[in-house]
Amino acid sequence: MTSQQPVFRLEGVSKSYGSVTALRDITLSVNGNEYISVLGPSGSGKSVLLRVIAGFDVPDSGRVVLEGRDITDVPAYERGIGFVFQNFALFPHLTVFENVAFGLRNGKVPVAAPDVEQRVKDMISLVGLAGMEGRGVHQISGGQKQRVALARTLVMAPRLVLLDEPLGALDANLRHRMRNELRAIREKLGVTFMHVTGSETEALAMGDRVVVLDHGRIAQFARPDQVYGQPATPSVAHFLNRYNIFEGELSGKRFTGPFGMIDAASVTPADKPACAIRYDRMKVEEEGAPGEGPAISASFVASEYLGSSVMYFFEAADGRVIEVEHHLSLGQPQSFEPKRRYRLRWKPEDAIVFGRG
Amino acid sequence: MESRVLKPVLAVYTLLFILFLYAPFFVLAILSFQSGPEGGPQFPIIEWSTYWYRHIFGMVPPSRIAPLPLGEALFRSLTLAFMTMVTSTVLGVMSAQAFRRKFKGSGLAFYLIVLGMMVPGVLTGLGVSLLANNILGIERHWWSTGFVTHVVYTFPFAFLVMLAILNRFDASVEEASWSLGVSPARTFRKVTFPLIFPGVLSAMLFAFTLSYDEFSRTLFASGRDQTLPLAIYGTFSVEIHPNVFAFGVLTTVFSFALLSVYAILMTLSVRRAKKVAMQEDIA
Amino acid sequence: MSGTAVRQAPQQKSRSSAPWLIAPGVLWMLVFLVTPILLIVYVSFWTQTTFKIEPTLTLQSWKAFFGSDTYLNSLWTTVRIWLIVLASTFIIGYPTALFVGLFVKNKTLSTVLLVICVIPFWTSFLIRVLAWRPMLGKEGAINILLQKFGIISQPIEALLFTELSVIIGMTQIYVVFMVGPIAFMLGRIDPNIIEAARDLGAGFGRIFWKIIFPLSLPGVVVGAIFVSVMVLGEFATAAALSGRKVNLLGNIIVTQVGSLKWALASVVGVILTIVMGLVIAGFLRIVDLKREL
Repeated sequence: MTSQQPVFRLEGVSKSYGSVTALRDITLSVNGNEYISVLGPSGSGKSVLLRVIAGFDVPDSGRVVLEGRDITDVPAYERGIGFVFQNFALFPHLTVFENVAFGLRNGKVPVAAPDVEQRVKDMISLVGLAGMEGRGVHQISGGQKQRVALARTLVMAPRLVLLDEPLGALDANLRHRMRNELRAIREKLGVTFMHVTGSETEALAMGDRVVVLDHGRIAQFARPDQVYGQPATPSVAHFLNRYNIFEGELSGKRFTGPFGMIDAASVTPADKPACAIRYDRMKVEEEGAPGEGPAISASFVASEYLGSSVMYFFEAADGRVIEVEHHLSLGQPQSFEPKRRYRLRWKPEDAIVFGRG
Repeated sequence: MESRVLKPVLAVYTLLFILFLYAPFFVLAILSFQSGPEGGPQFPIIEWSTYWYRHIFGMVPPSRIAPLPLGEALFRSLTLAFMTMVTSTVLGVMSAQAFRRKFKGSGLAFYLIVLGMMVPGVLTGLGVSLLANNILGIERHWWSTGFVTHVVYTFPFAFLVMLAILNRFDASVEEASWSLGVSPARTFRKVTFPLIFPGVLSAMLFAFTLSYDEFSRTLFASGRDQTLPLAIYGTFSVEIHPNVFAFGVLTTVFSFALLSVYAILMTLSVRRAKKVAMQEDIA
Repeated sequence: MSGTAVRQAPQQKSRSSAPWLIAPGVLWMLVFLVTPILLIVYVSFWTQTTFKIEPTLTLQSWKAFFGSDTYLNSLWTTVRIWLIVLASTFIIGYPTALFVGLFVKNKTLSTVLLVICVIPFWTSFLIRVLAWRPMLGKEGAINILLQKFGIISQPIEALLFTELSVIIGMTQIYVVFMVGPIAFMLGRIDPNIIEAARDLGAGFGRIFWKIIFPLSLPGVVVGAIFVSVMVLGEFATAAALSGRKVNLLGNIIVTQVGSLKWALASVVGVILTIVMGLVIAGFLRIVDLKREL
């Protein structure tokens, strides 16, 4: 489904604001008809990345190439790249219809009025707002504003649509519903979406591929299952909020951490040595129970019921918190005694070891 | 608490203060009903009459008291105020727009503009007169030297108003417009300007009012033909008559009426918008 | 300033259109404000004969000014009246500002009160000045009222055509410019601070001097600058209410220009500019320090 032609490329893009470096040497290639999530905490540069692609900010160095054409010096209004803002940025003095029709009516090449009517009507139906054309911007709900913002951009048939935390202003329920709608709309139109978010669940759920940004650099760019299962750096593992990360020493393939030593089958290159074990890859055993493989002692603190799984919180000897997730489809939840020590065990192949191997 | 004593005391004080502010106006209003043409601008009231009001409109037989040179002076004041309003608002909008990005010398430019409201009229009037009279050798007129000095005075006000408006303006709508393929010039016309228009309107109102009542700068800079305030000033050293007071009452009532109409229209349109919104929600 | 000031976007080939936008305004001020003021300084050194003036530089007019008691008196009078009016607008205006800004909790009410204070401005400035004459005269409203209530038996002559009348007139006209900024600053004081101080046992006097007054100081300074600029440049009120007895620097400039004595007028203009510059610079010193804090 994804076309193999890169719809845009970034080559060595860097951007600083005064003494703060927002983007460091970003090189990225995105294909047509693809949904890309961009994940990162605040300060990672994800909004700046979008603004540079859109042309709202100029990179200090590097190139932006759209469908083979170098647009680094092309101003935003000539790029043909759509942008959906977190606060929607609807034109408050225009109706829904006029908002959606704005680009068609005021662009460089005027579009005939009947065409405008038709295209705008079709797009408004596509986003599910049929009948609301005459409403003012202040008379519609947050979710509806979101759709207007989308419609307004999509009616211009851009090759690329950038979305800056588009679901951030919506409440949780709405956000969930909009996720599916966004994907559906995108697939129907076959446009590439690039969707910035700080939520790891959203990024993993929506993207065909995920870009993980860490302090202005691309930490990983892969499919969601790859990012989830094989985070490329300890930072990525940290963002995912699904890994217990231990520091330690690495010599060769041997990692020494607070739980002892393990021999890793392979080492993922990273600046600092670390060992990451996913929450749902740990098992809780009684102290002193026989078992094989690496383990660490910790005392039970509390548990949290999450619907389809249960999260157990443990505290290790050095005070760090270790979380263990138990999917309820695998069996009944166990109950543990607070302050009692248990052994948390995992399979060696489930540990991801980072470092300079 | 002491404020229980203090608050009513201050309230009474404020009332007296307001009376203090309005006292001359009351006196003025009362005396405008002085009988004429023998009645002078002082107490006691010889007889209550509307003579002086009629005098303004030329509806009384000629007496030794010349009517206020209202017609032409009024016309000049209005025209001058209009020209000033347009020019200083345009300059104010452009300059405030420039200040949305940091640029070299922006601090200097800022103080240079604000200087215009800090220098008293006598000085700017004097300076412009010197420029015209002694350097350029040109005549002073209300529509040249007068106009120029008025703009120097009102432009900073328009500028500060627009600066405040643009500071609170969320630029994301402009960026949205660019992303839709609309050029910056067109974006300003279709997006920015309509949204800042209320601010532009208040800047215009401000500039017009300042120019209309302006007189110390105008005194020097307008040459032979007088604007309205100058005409009134001309009566200072000569005898004053209650017609000036009648005129003052009329203009105040007129301004009051204008602003009331404006306020009523605003309230009505706001209320209408709310009603529409409510209906749509129910539908 | 909002974030738009930091981010730049080249929407045209030239990276910034700011120079073009700011140029007309700056140019206008340079030509029609700065040049005239510099000209005043220049012309003050010109040679003035009875009938004409020429650019030959001389100190003649300067000597004429400083050598004449009348003119020097006008300088002291101007400064004196400025100080008195400044003090009186402050003393009279502050309690009102206190009430409107601090004690009136309802925002609509405080707006209404401020609008009430502004309405008098819709009557032409000159007419308002004139209106004081029938108030202050021997047969004026004040005297009539005072006599009616038996407070005095003879009309007070000193009310009109004296320095006092000028001061009264100026105070009344300019006091609003003091009330506005002070009320604004007072309105911004967080009431929780005052609550906290009261809880700690401070009496109102203490609260006022230690908290309220210092926080209102920027407003006081702004008001002082407004009033000072207007009073120092004043001449109309003096002309109308003092019967030529009070001669301010502004009056001298007006009369000298009237008789085409440009050089002397310019000398007075320079002196006025210097006084104003010192006053504003002095006030800004206080404000800037406070703002930093």
